[in-house]
Amino acid sequence: MKAVSDEDVAAAFSGQQPDALALVYERFGPLVYSIALRSLGIRSDAEDVTQQVFVSAWRSRDRFDRGRGTLGGWLVTITRNKVADALRDRQRDSRVLQQVTGGASVAAPEAPADRVVDRIVLTDELARLPEAQRLVMVLSFYSDLTHEQIARVLGLPLGTVKSHIRRGLQRLRSRLEADGVAY
Amino acid sequence: MSHIDPEILALRALGETAGTAADAEHAASCAHCRAELARLAEVVRLARDTEPGEALQAPPPQLWDRIAAAVGTSPALNGAAAPGKTTKEASAPPTRQPRLAWPRGRLASAMAGLAAGVIIGIGGGIGVAQVSQAPPARVVARIELSPLPQFPQWQGATGTAVMRSTASQQEIVITLRAPARPGFYEAWLLARDGVSMISLGDLSAEHTGTFTVPSGVDLRDYSRIDISLQPFDGSTQHSKASVVRGSLPAAALG
Repeated sequence: MKAVSDEDVAAAFSGQQPDALALVYERFGPLVYSIALRSLGIRSDAEDVTQQVFVSAWRSRDRFDRGRGTLGGWLVTITRNKVADALRDRQRDSRVLQQVTGGASVAAPEAPADRVVDRIVLTDELARLPEAQRLVMVLSFYSDLTHEQIARVLGLPLGTVKSHIRRGLQRLRSRLEADGVAY
Repeated sequence: MSHIDPEILALRALGETAGTAADAEHAASCAHCRAELARLAEVVRLARDTEPGEALQAPPPQLWDRIAAAVGTSPALNGAAAPGKTTKEASAPPTRQPRLAWPRGRLASAMAGLAAGVIIGIGGGIGVAQVSQAPPARVVARIELSPLPQFPQWQGATGTAVMRSTASQQEIVITLRAPARPGFYEAWLLARDGVSMISLGDLSAEHTGTFTVPSGVDLRDYSRIDISLQPFDGSTQHSKASVVRGSLPAAALG
């Protein structure tokens, strides 16, 4: 299966094709939902935020400028804003609750940690690497095998493994630079 | 002198000692190569901070209907996020996997996220041997660690401890969320008498650690987990600066 590239999705969205939002949601729904869920911790809240993000993205699609950044990065920014709004609402609700009950103090809400967002973006890109390259990257990151051992284990030429590693790292880096927050 | 070969640079970012002595010398003196290496090493650090088996979570199928209704469009989804289609994302377990700090465990859990065909395709080899040797661990308890009321300076710190059991041993995987402070964080088991304690070990720079419960220690006696901030003073005693604490549930201890 050939994955639709992020550029194709962004082009469809910019071109305001009728099905574009469905395409965008298919591509970025898990990314947006995962950031929201990790930041808010409650599924129903994460669903609400995800809905707000895509509705808001669709309504303000004229403001998305492909020349200025990626669609993924734009959606990540909207997601962070909506998460911050949701946390503010939560804080307000708990203050009200506190006044009513005279109860104990409540913890201040946390904005979604930048590194959390970056890790989710990275997870997303890692999953999109071609299978063989992904396997090499996973082994490089999480096993204690050297690249020579990885080549032996996978029965690949050493040069192929080294090239997978170089290009894989560069691709993850480019994606983080485009769509990440703290990176 | 020309810059370091990008393949060598990538391997060095992964922590391998690749390249010649001249490369190492160049890396130390060239601002461009140093910056490149730092950027790649940051990617590696982010990746290693990430739970390897963890995939993104797909939103629930009905969410698209809500969005489509809100924007007044109703095109059917036919790809990854559509109901009934299971992608790797969609089929991932909804619960967060406990972090596995040891390489084999991390690898095994990472492999679980890969297509089965690829794993079979590896054939024999050391990687496979390592994976299959990883003992199956069962999560028996997951507890939250919280600051003690008498230490207001640690309010806001949290932690989790996941207790796992294999055929031969018990492990505790600890993750702490607390600010970086001078010194280091150390994990302890506290006895119910509140006096005796056993050091499990130090948390990593990322404030995590996987510790084996020493054999002969009965967790029914040592049922509390404590994380301390230890100064670099050479003492092996608990500093008395307890950051967070939690108790293992009796039910998990048999």
